Amino acid sequence: MAGQQGAGLLETRIHSTIVVTLVVATCLASAALAETKKEYRFTVGPNANISVDTQYGGISVHPGSSTEVVVTAILKSDSVEVDQQQNGNRIEIASHLLQGATEKTGQVNYELLIPADATLSLHSSTGPLSADHLQGDMTLEGTDAAVNISNVENGHVHVRTMRGPITLTNVRNGHVEIASISGNMQMKAVTGPVVQANSGSGKISYDGDFGLSGDYKFTTHSGDIEALVPQDVSADFRAHSMVGRVQHDFPLQSKHSRFPVELGRSFFGSAGKAASEVVLRSFSGRIRLKQH
Amino acid sequence: MTCSDVQQLLPELLDGAPDAAFQAAFDSHVETCPDCAGLVSDLKLITSQAHDLAETDEPPTRVWVNIAAQLRAEGLIREEETAPGPVLVPSSPRRRWSAWWLAPVAAALLAAGSYVVSHKSAQPIAQNVPPPQPVQSAPMQSAPVESAKTDIPTPSSTSVVASSRVAEQGPQEVATKSGHSASAPPRVVSAPSSKEDQQFLSMVSTLAPSSRATYENQLQVVNADIQETQAYVDQNPGDADARQHLMDAYQQKALLYQIAMDRIQ
Amino acid sequence: MTDQKQRITEAEAIEQAKQGHEPAFEILYNLHKRRVYSLCLRMVSNPAQAEDLAQEAFLQLFRKIGTFRGESAFSTWLHRMTVNVVLMQLRKKGLPVVSLEETLEADDESPRKEFGTKDLKLTGSIDRLQLQRAIDKLPPGYRTVFVLHDVEGFEHNEIAEMVGCSIGNSKSQLHKARLKLRDFLKFMRAEKAKTG
Repeated sequence: MAGQQGAGLLETRIHSTIVVTLVVATCLASAALAETKKEYRFTVGPNANISVDTQYGGISVHPGSSTEVVVTAILKSDSVEVDQQQNGNRIEIASHLLQGATEKTGQVNYELLIPADATLSLHSSTGPLSADHLQGDMTLEGTDAAVNISNVENGHVHVRTMRGPITLTNVRNGHVEIASISGNMQMKAVTGPVVQANSGSGKISYDGDFGLSGDYKFTTHSGDIEALVPQDVSADFRAHSMVGRVQHDFPLQSKHSRFPVELGRSFFGSAGKAASEVVLRSFSGRIRLKQH
Repeated sequence: MTCSDVQQLLPELLDGAPDAAFQAAFDSHVETCPDCAGLVSDLKLITSQAHDLAETDEPPTRVWVNIAAQLRAEGLIREEETAPGPVLVPSSPRRRWSAWWLAPVAAALLAAGSYVVSHKSAQPIAQNVPPPQPVQSAPMQSAPVESAKTDIPTPSSTSVVASSRVAEQGPQEVATKSGHSASAPPRVVSAPSSKEDQQFLSMVSTLAPSSRATYENQLQVVNADIQETQAYVDQNPGDADARQHLMDAYQQKALLYQIAMDRIQ
Repeated sequence: MTDQKQRITEAEAIEQAKQGHEPAFEILYNLHKRRVYSLCLRMVSNPAQAEDLAQEAFLQLFRKIGTFRGESAFSTWLHRMTVNVVLMQLRKKGLPVVSLEETLEADDESPRKEFGTKDLKLTGSIDRLQLQRAIDKLPPGYRTVFVLHDVEGFEHNEIAEMVGCSIGNSKSQLHKARLKLRDFLKFMRAEKAKTG
């Protein structure tokens, strides 16, 4: 009898131990994957310079107060930390991966409110990266990160990706340089004075009027280039593909040029008062100029 | 419908979706005109027989042998590797990647590309076109990464490869090309420098193994673009636009190196 | 079932080729070598040149295999790449890829009567070698369009895009090519009939 009671007690203890172990393990696991939200505030003067670097995760930037930078970081787990540093007007934020961090657990998503005219630098491998309604200079870099820039005026915009697609919308009067190895590029209502887009195998699409007196150069190796323009566009157009097909769907006033025009491979002409200069070049991609 | 109408409509009738009324008129004429009937019959026969020619011929074995040899030479065929494991991250505080030799390699790629574009095909090598100067290397960062076990090659052995090969090959190319010796442009070595690329990938494998496949894939893409453009330039040495595209292709490779320098930690 | 198995095999071969496995490259080569080589041979009519072009087409394909995303069939991709390689070669040699004539000329349309067409119609099947020889005799511009359309199965809009001409041009070139081939074939038959 006593032996049976002893066995029963032992069994209960074993069961209890198992249950407790399971509960502890679950709590630990939950703690490891629990999201943490952290907020950092920095006081800045004019011409602030903000840099954010994260291996995994997205960064989104909007205009806020002219004297303060607010950084909200959402950390996916405790396998990653946020390092932050301020030197005068310069702020540096970086994700710091700890031992054992993976792409999932090492993710930090950032949301920033910055002065509209601040200089901005964003880096991420996975992204996405976005900047909206800003006026300062910006550099956005990512490997596979999708980059979205919208409603920017007068700034220098530099974007580099390996495969990440790049979308620019309503970027006015900017000095724009975007480059990707195989990412697609989409530009809508993007105007110069300088707009340069370079993609190896990605497609470049432009929808807009090429502004007034700007220089536009779109170059690909094998990606197609497509420009969709309004009827009242005013630009000199030069397009050439070494191997691919080139066509324009509306008449251009022919111009005398020292550049050889090869039927089906190049065209050279102007529309309207030829205010801007547009050069479309590809090695083997197709180039199309179409009208709305 | 006359015989002349039939001639005009034949392309549409044979390949297109003809209007029903035309088809009826055509059929009616052909029934009564042996010459047009013969023409239509012959053209249909030619078209149907032509399709059988699509896969009739087999290339000799040497074609594959040459392809395989070239793939090996370009490093596109490689030995079996174990799949990369999960991401390992150094436990030490964040520090910058110190493969400082990559920066001059990227610069050398740009220099090689610039040389291609700046050279004018009509100018004799000896007179007007000096070879590019070797690129001076500079250490990129201060602290070496402790966890990196790969030997970092010295810049003198790697960073000037692209530009120095241009200098070496130029005069030889001029000497051997008969009939164009005074004006042939120097041959720029094909950009995929296997040694640098292998070192680059080795570095990526060490510091970010899960990214190796991505970088390797993109490296193949940019190398292929450079070779494709180089082949075109070789065939059309006087084409300035082609040389500009070759420079663009070099710049893409330099961009890849720069992105790697920026992202891998 | 066989097709499905082959498709799976090709897809696996593509993935392995991306990793640099030599057998995978060879599988892909063997799957498509006849099509590629035959296309090159039909378009340049020179076996040595066709070998070089086929080699170049495969090399370009294998160099870029990392970019293949499976959005279209692999064979379509290879096919187009081969055509581009050949067209580049033709342009390099200064050979006309396609004539710029748009309209059909009346003289070319009337059926020839000098070979006694009623007796020597192309009935039955055409000897394959004779057809190959006749294609070789076509002017390069006609040959390009004929091979791309009737042999390889490209549509006129695809040919127009690859070659850099209008769809109308492509159609008229094809029609002229077929008429010329008919003349060549009838002449060959007439010659053969004379010699017995």
